[in-house]
Amino acid sequence: MRSLFAILAAKTAFRINRLTGTGGTSLPGMLAQKIDKDILKKLVKNNFPRGVIVVTGTNGKTTTTKLIADILEANGISYVYNRTGSNMERGLITSVALESNIAGKVSAEVGLFEVDEAFLPKVCRAIQPNVILISNLFRDQLDRFGELDKIARSFRNLIEELDSTQLVLNADDPLVASLGYELENEKKVTYFGVGDYSGPKLQHDRTADSIFDPFTQEKLYYTQHYFSHLGKYRGKSGAFRRPKPDYQANNLKQKGIESIQFNINSASNTVELKIPGIFNVYNAMGAFAAVKASLKLEDDHIIKAIAGSAAAFGRSEVLNYNGREALILLIKNPTGLNQIIQTYLLTENDRLLVFIINDSYADGRDISWLWDSAIEDLAHYKGKILVGGSRADDMALRLKYAGKVDVLAESNEAELLKLILLHSSKRSKLFVLPTYTAMLSIRSQIVAGDELQKEYWQ
Amino acid sequence: MKPIKIVHLYPERMSIYGDYGNIIALRQRMDWRGIKNSVENIEVGSKIPVDADLIFIGGGQDKGQVIVSEDLALKAEPIKQFVESGGALLAVCGGYQLLGEYFISNDYGQLKGIGLFNVVSKATNDRMIGNIVVQSDRFGRLIGFENHSGSTEYIGPAQPLGRVLKGFGNNPTDKLEGIIYKNAIGTYLHGSFLPKNPKVCDWLIAKAIAKSGQSIKLKPLSDSLEKRARSSSIGRP
Repeated sequence: MRSLFAILAAKTAFRINRLTGTGGTSLPGMLAQKIDKDILKKLVKNNFPRGVIVVTGTNGKTTTTKLIADILEANGISYVYNRTGSNMERGLITSVALESNIAGKVSAEVGLFEVDEAFLPKVCRAIQPNVILISNLFRDQLDRFGELDKIARSFRNLIEELDSTQLVLNADDPLVASLGYELENEKKVTYFGVGDYSGPKLQHDRTADSIFDPFTQEKLYYTQHYFSHLGKYRGKSGAFRRPKPDYQANNLKQKGIESIQFNINSASNTVELKIPGIFNVYNAMGAFAAVKASLKLEDDHIIKAIAGSAAAFGRSEVLNYNGREALILLIKNPTGLNQIIQTYLLTENDRLLVFIINDSYADGRDISWLWDSAIEDLAHYKGKILVGGSRADDMALRLKYAGKVDVLAESNEAELLKLILLHSSKRSKLFVLPTYTAMLSIRSQIVAGDELQKEYWQ
Repeated sequence: MKPIKIVHLYPERMSIYGDYGNIIALRQRMDWRGIKNSVENIEVGSKIPVDADLIFIGGGQDKGQVIVSEDLALKAEPIKQFVESGGALLAVCGGYQLLGEYFISNDYGQLKGIGLFNVVSKATNDRMIGNIVVQSDRFGRLIGFENHSGSTEYIGPAQPLGRVLKGFGNNPTDKLEGIIYKNAIGTYLHGSFLPKNPKVCDWLIAKAIAKSGQSIKLKPLSDSLEKRARSSSIGRP
């Protein structure tokens, strides 16, 4: 009875939100939880006959979850997922409550949830997922999440408690891989990784945190180092080493900034991924491994779906802004920004480049991370650089210390949009690198402008 | 001229929260003035070079600090001698704590410090997080971001880096922040600290030049972007 009211409250709140245009995805979940604190557990427990998949990790959660959703979709498997990336407990409640009838029954076969690292233990204790995919752990918004070791410890405690959950882990991230090491009661672990990489590399990568053996604390020895602390490694005196991946990406071939080609385990399993960069290869490999671990699908059916998958919201999304083609690339932390620099900015270095750095709570108040990023690798960037957001001046200062002085800073969004028009021509292409709240804001401005334009011309 | 040697202590284990920004700022502000400089990274197991002019140590994860604390015990004498003979030193956050007498961590018990600074630190259950503004007699207004659970108190004579105008500083009650001892500074300010506080950066450079036995007058630089970044940061929550 209590859960019935909770579900009704969530549904009603969501409709009111819609009508008033506030569009929040956490308020309905919050109301439902107030009425029934076990609502998430109840909503998930008696549903999803083909299982529940949880995706977590610092970077790539939204893209990986979308890839899995596209695989399910292409294979005719119905699912519920937190599409908007609202990945804390309340967002999850909202996403399931909206799909359920008032008795709490959902017709979808699979539950698919992207979960914030800080909420993973609590959420997983409630919903007992069949699969947890952990893609990577990088330094990220330390003011919100705290240190990597603490997150990893909370994951390890969780994993020891869960009996029937399968783990899907990135073999190339030492801290993540160590979560599957010497597990008791023989939990099933599936590893994925990358076999080789010879594409562009940064000269100023300062983001490698987990380069020590988690058991002996000695420095790991790397035979291959891809980016941050990802690569092929082994311990010095201890037994810890990179586990052999069950699914490995080989022969990576980047095609400009359009796509990246690779094969999974054998040349006959070749994938052409429409989103470029080795970090997206990891996202695709994680999606592939999670689906293989939980559902009986043929390799080629998964690969076909991956090849057809487009970018997620605000993640290498192309928007039209007054005839300009704006590529929106969300940045949140140094490793993510470094991957954008490596994949996009080193390849197409003459486009107008716009950084928008906000420091709202959801972005992380601390902008120190800009100093850990490989901005020095932009020293030879040829295009004009504009900076905006509440910390525009900090970004301009960061660029100055990286040797880029010809930078325009404008913290007012409307003025920044004017500057963008002034410094680009119709049909030109530009890069926009916003933090999270800046992405939501600039995206809505650009989309609204685009629709206004369409209305005008129609 | 002889290049100014910066020693970056434990960059692999003690480089969190944009600590590299301090090295970047030190080097650039020397490069812009044509002052030759180099950086030597010193990790666990290596010795402090005798020709060091400036030492920097940043903050780390608690786990990393355990190993660093053990290794620092072996470096305690050379570091103290370096500071006593006029060497310039900057220690931020975890580095500040470990150059004090001791740090009592939540998970790993008491970590021994080297006792360069007259401070003791103890982990608390509340993190002190946010933008911080400090008024310093020597440097004027200092601007940064703090993120620490360690609470630091002075033991014996100590000169604070400054008074806290906004934020926490050493601990939730004193309204004091950091420490200066000879040419060594300990502080909780990230941000990164030196790019937005060029006066401190130039002071450290001047002390390092003096340590190297050379006399070079520091030419003023245009700090207009630094000033803008400082004033827009002060207004942030």
